[in-house]
Amino acid sequence: MTMTTMGPDAARDPNAATRRLQRQDRVFFWLAWGSATLVVVVLLGILFSLVWESIPAVRTFGLSFLWTERWSPAKEIFGALAPIYGTIVTSVIAMVIAIPLSFGIAIFLTEICPKPLRRPIGTAIELLAGIPSIIYGLWGFFVLAPLMQQFVQPFLIDVLGPLPIVGALFSGAPYGIGMLTAGLVLAIMILPFITSVTRDVFQTVPVMLRESAYGMGMTTWEVMRHIVIPYTRLGLVGGVMLGLGRALGETMAVTFVIGNAHRVKASLMAPGTTISASIANEFAEASGKLYSASLVELGLILFVISFTVLALAKWLIGRTESY
Amino acid sequence: MSTLNPITRRRYRRNAVAVALSAIAAAIGLLILAAILWTLVSRGVGGLSLKVFTESTPPPGSDGGLANAIYGSIVLTLTGIVIATPIGVLAGTYLSEYARGSKIGEAAKFINDVLLSAPSIIIGLFINALLVVPFGTFSAWAGGVALAVIALPVINRTTQDMLALVPNTLREAAAALGAPRWKVMTFVVWRAAKSGILTGILLAVARISGETAPLLFTSFNNQYWSTNMSQSMASLPTVIFQFAMSPYDDWQRLAWAGALIITFAILALNIIARALVDRRR
Repeated sequence: MTMTTMGPDAARDPNAATRRLQRQDRVFFWLAWGSATLVVVVLLGILFSLVWESIPAVRTFGLSFLWTERWSPAKEIFGALAPIYGTIVTSVIAMVIAIPLSFGIAIFLTEICPKPLRRPIGTAIELLAGIPSIIYGLWGFFVLAPLMQQFVQPFLIDVLGPLPIVGALFSGAPYGIGMLTAGLVLAIMILPFITSVTRDVFQTVPVMLRESAYGMGMTTWEVMRHIVIPYTRLGLVGGVMLGLGRALGETMAVTFVIGNAHRVKASLMAPGTTISASIANEFAEASGKLYSASLVELGLILFVISFTVLALAKWLIGRTESY
Repeated sequence: MSTLNPITRRRYRRNAVAVALSAIAAAIGLLILAAILWTLVSRGVGGLSLKVFTESTPPPGSDGGLANAIYGSIVLTLTGIVIATPIGVLAGTYLSEYARGSKIGEAAKFINDVLLSAPSIIIGLFINALLVVPFGTFSAWAGGVALAVIALPVINRTTQDMLALVPNTLREAAAALGAPRWKVMTFVVWRAAKSGILTGILLAVARISGETAPLLFTSFNNQYWSTNMSQSMASLPTVIFQFAMSPYDDWQRLAWAGALIITFAILALNIIARALVDRRR
């Protein structure tokens, strides 16, 4: 029968061949299972090592770590308020700029752009995501920051500075680097991510719905505003959250342009710091257990924040897919 | 337009504004890409010469190149990819073929996505605690492993997605011929998804070769030519970071040359990966 293909073993005992194949099957299964488990182990390992390494800081400062602004390596007093504040403010600035831009680009790519141009333009926007973050940092520091210092920031300070309440956000000297510039660089970096998710969820709208709306005489904008956007609402929020997750954890680009100052200032022009920028700037030189433990605790806080954002994003995107 | 009633006219006007704004948004996106590439070319080309590829990074004020950093980047990236590829492909195979639809499989997929979007600086901290502190020294091994941890979820995820595209009839046909399951996977399913998996690996290479943050506390940096995997090793991103922030003109020139090299290499990888996917379709 199959003896010739089964080899010498089979010639002696057909069951031996079957057993060998079963053994190979088992080995392959356990290799695959082990690899999948390793991914889980790595994530648990990251979590465990962050918690373990930050214990000295947690013991010393307790919960007040979260709302202490002071960061003094010389006196061994550490508080996370400034980095947490900086992380949130730069990410919010990034979202405020990136959301309308990426929605605009996604609308352009799905509804307006002539067919032959859709792929090249879409690809070009996605290539923005391929540029390494250090390049964004370089560009932000050497090209964008001087432009901000010379033109954008003086303009904002003159026009918005004197206003009540809002004015505080736009007061002070134009440094070029600072929260606003960091937010702007982050906005550019997350633009391609939000755009591609947005475009994908726009394409989940049944053609029937879209065509019916056009058939009733709706304009392109009305179809977007009243049909496509309401239909894809959850997916859009999910895409935005994915972008937010990126912005929160981004390191190198921010490190170049944030100014690395552990202070909480109302003005968006002021230099500040973020969690990831503090770690990148200080961890290698951190002397003393408490100093490095405080930096690791910052990392743990960042991990918890970005995990929460990602879990929300997944849940929301999952809900649109199951329509 | 004059024959239209005022409401219709307002609707059309609003539409024109929305269309114009979204076209402007697309133009801004393209403009930014062009501006970044232009900055890299205009500032980087001046620093490019044969020396960049043949000499090691110089002390400030003297002549040199980026050879050690380019070598380091290639070695670290290869180490990362060589570790991550078999594990990622096997894990993706398990999640897509063995655990399809099961609760544990879904949980493992979610955990992979968490790892995929974990801030890379945190992975640097983790590998620092795991491989640098116990051995007492920065090492290229640690850098390579850190990059592997970043590449792993990328390869795992693309493998899952690509295997899901392989039609079930292929698996059934192979199984009906009496092929054991592992042969169905390796000889049929992997082969059918080959270009997709390769795309995932290329994208992972593109992603990790530009990473800086996870290398800062793992492979660190090295001013000299070093092939010792147990010592700190230079890499293009870390050298760019160090040189760009320095006050020395020739260091900055080298930083821009390095930035130009790495960006165009990565964009080329991205385009090749895309072309592979397109040919499949």
